[in-house]
Amino acid sequence: MLESYFPVLVFILVGLGFGIVPILLGRLVAPWRPDSEKLSPYECGFEAFEDARMKFDVRYYLIAILFILFDLEIAFLFPWATVFQDFIAAGEHAWFVFGAVMVFLAVLVIGYIVEWKNGALDWE
Amino acid sequence: MNFVVPDFYPAAAEIFVAVMALVIMLAGAFARSVRWLAYTLTQLTLVGAALITIFVPSVDVSYTFSGMFVSDLFGNVLKLLIYLAVGVALLYGRGYLADRRMERPEYYLLAVLMTLGMMVMVSANHLLTLYIGLEMMSLALYGMTAFDRDSVRSTEAAMKYFVLGALASGLLLYGMSMIYGATGALDFVSIKDALYFQTANKTVLLFGLVFLMAGIAFKLGVVPFHMWVPDVYQGAPTAVTLLIASAPKLAAFAMTMRLLVFALFELAEQWQAMLMFLAVLSIILGNLAAIAQSNIKRMLAYSGISHMGFMLLGLVAGVVSGETHNAITAYSAAMFYAVAYVLMSLASFGMVLLLARAGFEAEEIDDFKGLNKRSPWFAAMMMIVMFSMAGIPFFIGFFAKLAVLQSVVAAGYVWLAVLAVVMSVIGAFYYLRVVKVMYFDAPADDAPIHAPAEMRVMMSVNGLSIAALGLMPQGLTYLCWIALLASLT
Amino acid sequence: MDFKTFVFYFLGAILVFAALRVITARNPVHAALYLVLAFFTAGGVWLLLHAEFLAIVLVMVYVGAVMVLFLFVVMMLDINVERLRQGFWSYLPVGALIGILLVVEMTIVLGGRYFGLEVMPEPPAMAEGYSNTRALGMVLYTEYVYPFELASLVLLVAMIVAVTLTLRKRKGTKYINPDDQVAVKREGRVELVKMPAEKE
Repeated sequence: MLESYFPVLVFILVGLGFGIVPILLGRLVAPWRPDSEKLSPYECGFEAFEDARMKFDVRYYLIAILFILFDLEIAFLFPWATVFQDFIAAGEHAWFVFGAVMVFLAVLVIGYIVEWKNGALDWE
Repeated sequence: MNFVVPDFYPAAAEIFVAVMALVIMLAGAFARSVRWLAYTLTQLTLVGAALITIFVPSVDVSYTFSGMFVSDLFGNVLKLLIYLAVGVALLYGRGYLADRRMERPEYYLLAVLMTLGMMVMVSANHLLTLYIGLEMMSLALYGMTAFDRDSVRSTEAAMKYFVLGALASGLLLYGMSMIYGATGALDFVSIKDALYFQTANKTVLLFGLVFLMAGIAFKLGVVPFHMWVPDVYQGAPTAVTLLIASAPKLAAFAMTMRLLVFALFELAEQWQAMLMFLAVLSIILGNLAAIAQSNIKRMLAYSGISHMGFMLLGLVAGVVSGETHNAITAYSAAMFYAVAYVLMSLASFGMVLLLARAGFEAEEIDDFKGLNKRSPWFAAMMMIVMFSMAGIPFFIGFFAKLAVLQSVVAAGYVWLAVLAVVMSVIGAFYYLRVVKVMYFDAPADDAPIHAPAEMRVMMSVNGLSIAALGLMPQGLTYLCWIALLASLT
Repeated sequence: MDFKTFVFYFLGAILVFAALRVITARNPVHAALYLVLAFFTAGGVWLLLHAEFLAIVLVMVYVGAVMVLFLFVVMMLDINVERLRQGFWSYLPVGALIGILLVVEMTIVLGGRYFGLEVMPEPPAMAEGYSNTRALGMVLYTEYVYPFELASLVLLVAMIVAVTLTLRKRKGTKYINPDDQVAVKREGRVELVKMPAEKE
C-alpha cells in the first residue's frame, strides 16, 4: 500500500538534494571573502531609496481568497471523480449523486457570476 | 451500500431559504439600482419560510438526510421565533443603514444566510451539521460586524469577534472529536444510545464535554468566555448589534439544548455542575459590570451576559439526583427566558436605533436624557423594556425570571435562587437609571425623533407585546412546554 | 524500527522543528515559510496513516492557497515585529502556566491509559485496492449530502464577505472599458456643423 509512495519519497529526497547540494558546494568551493561594500544592498549603484518590502495592494488579497474558495471547491469534487463510475456501474443513485454535485456547483457558479458582475475580478 | 434517497420534505424551509438566498444574490447584482428589492425579497423570504415551517413538516419528530436533520416541534417553534427576530431586526435597522450609506444588498444577503445557518443549527441532529450551521451563522455575523469598513471601531470589533470566535469553534470541534472518539458516533441519537448502554469511555467523554462547554459558553457569551461581548456590541454598527443580540441567542440556546439535552443527557449531572459555575459567574459579573457603563450598548451587552446566565439556570435544574421528572419544566423555563430576552433585546437596541440619525449614534445613556419631553410614547416603551429587563412585575421579564427561579428552587438549589434574586435587585439599579434619566433629566438635544412609520409601529408593537405577554404569559409558557414535551419524549 | 517508523519520526521531528520556528522566527515571512514546511510534513504524516485524501488536500489547499494568502497578508500589513513582541515577557508566565496545565491534562487523558496500543484495537487491514478517496466519495455525495450542500453555502458566505469587505472602486483611475471603446461609432465622436461662411 504505502510502498507505492516510495518513489514519491525518493523524489522528495532527490529534490531536496538538488536544492541543498549546490548551495553547500558553492559555500565550500567558491572563494568567500565578504566585505561591507559587497554585503550592503544597492540599487543601480545608488544607496537604496526605500525598503525592499513594499506593501501589496489589498486587491491581491481578494484574488487570493477567491482562489482559495475555488480551490476548496475542487477539493470537494475530487472524490467525485474517483467514485462516480462506481455509482454508474452499480446503477443506483447515479443521478442523485450527479444532482448533488451539480447543485453544489450551481451555488458556487452563481457566486462566481455575481462577483464577476460586481467587478471583483476586474483590475481597473 | 444501503443508501436511500432522503426525504426532502421536512427540510423544505431550509431549501426555500437557500434558494431565496441565491435569488437575492442575483437580484442584488443585476438590479442594483432598485434599492428596495433586496430588503423586500428578504422579508418575503422570512414570511415564506414561516409559512412553510407552519404548514409543511409534521408535528411528529421526523429524521431525514441519514439522521442528520431532525424536524420536531422544538425546532420549528424556535425557527419561527428566529424568522420573527431577524425580520424585526432588519426592519429596525433599515433606516440606520440608509442614513450611513450601508444599505447594500449584501447586508440582506448575509442576513438571509445567517438565518439559514441558524435554521441548520436548530434542526441539527448531527455534530457535523450543527458545526456547519454554526459556522455559516458566525461567518455572516463577522462580515456584518465589519460592514462599516471605514470605521476603525467596527473593524476592530469584527477582528476580535472573528479571532475569538474561531478559537471557540476550534475548542468546540476538539470537544466534538473527543466525543466521537469515545462514542464512535456523530449523530445525536447514536451518541445518546452509546451513553445509555455505557459503551463509551467516560473519562474521554468528560474531557470532550469540557471543550464542548467552552465552545457553547463562548457562543452564548457567558463568563468567563464573555470578553468579546461588550466590545463587539459597542463596536458593531447598531443595526448589526441588534442582529447579534437577538436571533443568534435563540440559535445558541438551541445548540446548547441539542448538544447537552438531546445528545449528552446521560451526562447531565456533570454538565449541570459546569453550567452552574458559568451561570453564577455571569449573573454576578454581568450585573456588576453593567452598573459602571455609560455607553448604553455596552450596558446592554453586560445585561445580556447576566440574562444568558439566568437562562442557563433553567438548564441547571433539569436533573436532580438522578430524577428527571423536573426536566421538561426546567428546560421550558429556560426556553421561555431565551424568548423573553430576545423580545426585550430587540426592543432595547431598537430604541437606540430609533434615536439615532445621520451623524448621530445615540449610544450614550446621556443621549436618552429627557426622552419623555421629546416623545412621551417612546419613553414609555423604553420604560416598559427596562422594567421588564429588571424583572419588575408584571412584565414578561418578571415571569421569565420567576419560572427559572421556581425550577431552581424545585431542584433544591435555594442558595442559587437567593443569589440570583439579590443580583437582579442590584441589576435593577442600572435599568432604573435609564428610566430616571428619561423622565427626570433635561433633554440634551431637542431634535425631533424622525423614524419611518413602520419602525414606529413595530417599536410600539414590540413594547406593548412585552407588557401584554407579561399580563398573559400562559400561552407562551404552554408553547415552550409542549414543544419540549413533544420533542424530548 | 522498521522503515515506516523511521519515516514517521523523521517527519515528526521536522514537523516539531518547523512548528517551533513558526512561533520563534523574528521575520514574519520566515514564519510563514516554516508554516508551509510544517503543513507539508503533516501531509506526509497523514499519508503514513493511509489518509491520502487529507494529505493531498492539505498540500493543495493549505500549502497551495492558504499560505499564499498568508504571505500576501504578512506583506500587506507591514507588521512592526518589535511592537508585537513588547508584551511577550509580561504575558509569558500566565501563558506558560496555562499551556503547561493544558499539556498535563491532555497527557493524563489522552495518554496510554485510554488511547494506548493495549486499549485501542489494531485497525483492520485495508482490503487490496482500498482507496481513502473512494471511501470518502461513497458517503460524501449520498449520506452526507446535506452537509455537502451546506458547505457550498458556507463557501458562498465567505465569498460574499470577502468581496464586500475588500472590493473598492478606486477614484480617479484612468481605466478605460474596452467594450465602450470598441463600440464607439463615428456619430459618437464627430459632429459636423453646418455654418455659413463668414466674411471678414
